[in-house]
Amino acid sequence: MTILEMAAALRAKKISSLELTNETLAAVARENPRINAFITVTADLARARASAMDAELSHGIDRGPLHGIPFAHKDLVYTKGIRTTGGSKVFENFIPDHDADIAINLEKAGGVLVGKTNLHEFAYGITSNNPHFGAVRNPWDTDRIPGGSSGGSGAAVAAGIVPFATGTDTGGSIRIPASFCGVTGLKPTFGLISKRGVMPLGWTMDHMGPIAKTVRDAAVSFHAMSGATGGYVPPKNVDIHGLRIGLPVNYYFDKLDLEVAESVRTAVQTATAFGARIVDVKVPDIDALNVVGRMLLLAEATSVHRDNLLNRRADIGADVATLLDQGRLIRASDYVDAQRLRRIYIREFSKLWSSVDCIFTPTTPTPAPKIGQTTMQVGGQLEDVRLATTRLMRAINVLGIPALSIPCGFTKSGLPIGLQILAAPRAEDTLLRIGAAIEDATGVVGRRP
Amino acid sequence: MTDWKTTAAALDPPIPARDVEKLLPVMDALEAAFRPLQATLTPEDDVWTGVE
Repeated sequence: MTILEMAAALRAKKISSLELTNETLAAVARENPRINAFITVTADLARARASAMDAELSHGIDRGPLHGIPFAHKDLVYTKGIRTTGGSKVFENFIPDHDADIAINLEKAGGVLVGKTNLHEFAYGITSNNPHFGAVRNPWDTDRIPGGSSGGSGAAVAAGIVPFATGTDTGGSIRIPASFCGVTGLKPTFGLISKRGVMPLGWTMDHMGPIAKTVRDAAVSFHAMSGATGGYVPPKNVDIHGLRIGLPVNYYFDKLDLEVAESVRTAVQTATAFGARIVDVKVPDIDALNVVGRMLLLAEATSVHRDNLLNRRADIGADVATLLDQGRLIRASDYVDAQRLRRIYIREFSKLWSSVDCIFTPTTPTPAPKIGQTTMQVGGQLEDVRLATTRLMRAINVLGIPALSIPCGFTKSGLPIGLQILAAPRAEDTLLRIGAAIEDATGVVGRRP
Repeated sequence: MTDWKTTAAALDPPIPARDVEKLLPVMDALEAAFRPLQATLTPEDDVWTGVE
């Protein structure tokens, strides 16, 4: 069931929050040994919370669509009294004494927390192959990665355990798992959802957002995460007539898996069939934006974790320690210059919004790679898995614009393919509107692992 | 181009020598890509301070 279906069933007294929560916990018990999506399960707290939400509804207190709905937090969101590991041995016993703002907002909205999801250590990587808590596995093929760093959240939603989970995105960490797991991921405009109380990775690149089964579920959970009471949720038969979709003539379709390219172009045709207009656009230098993004993140992540690297090196996975070492080598003047370049590129990119309402690109150039795979063939060239997977992602974090990833098809071997939709700052409603239209038209969301 | 081995050894504490080798190709490639971009900056180019 989707969030909106659960919400309707709760109000019609066809099901209680406690029953929903017990079903969710049963799904965790059934699925987690297969996909390792959860680090911590808060069964007793969840049942008590669900009972309290049922009592409120029975007394006429209604907090909105998330009232009584089970969900999960990525395990770098501070939860008062509940272990928050950041996916690292360094924090394996860390219990925060306060909640993150996003946890407070979801609590106010009536959500029922069932557990904390596994992730790439410190959220610094795209595989979620965690050396301390085990690899998260993709529900569509457990030999493959779910993407990262919010891999547990993506896998938990894809497996049907929870209808939504929190994610963070510093270089694609919401959108990559959404693409590889066949679910919806929304990276909102930079700063729109508070990051207070969320373990940082890169202060000027970190974004909070939802991973959900459907676009409308992402809309509902996004509004709650931002602390809003209400907000735009696409209606049935959403109208996209006249919407101007930018289709990049450079960069984004240059090096792709053929099935990914075909699925994204089919989504474009679907949008035009519903009245949207395609506008060819030439995007600014995305490779340059990616270079700036890497420079910024290397420096910022090492600033966050320098003491952990120097004092607990043996407790940090080799891949993450290597990235943190790289950050120690970045000059302060180079970091500042990267922030100066960022401003130039943002202004250049923003000119596109005068001619289009959104831009369609693939989310990832390939479907999910195998666990342990370090290189892969993309468009006839051998590429590093991490660099290839973030190639269409990282620039968007530098720009700070909102981006939505939705499933738009499957490979012949049954792996999900993601469509990324970009829009101007604070134009999340546009993303949700076009995303819902594509989702309704393709019917892809109904397919289960 | 930067001599990363010397830089890594000069840090306090230094990056362990056994770990430096694997950093070299990545840092060389990043620097090679970044320097030409940096060269385009003028004194009027301010830092980014948030979404505009």
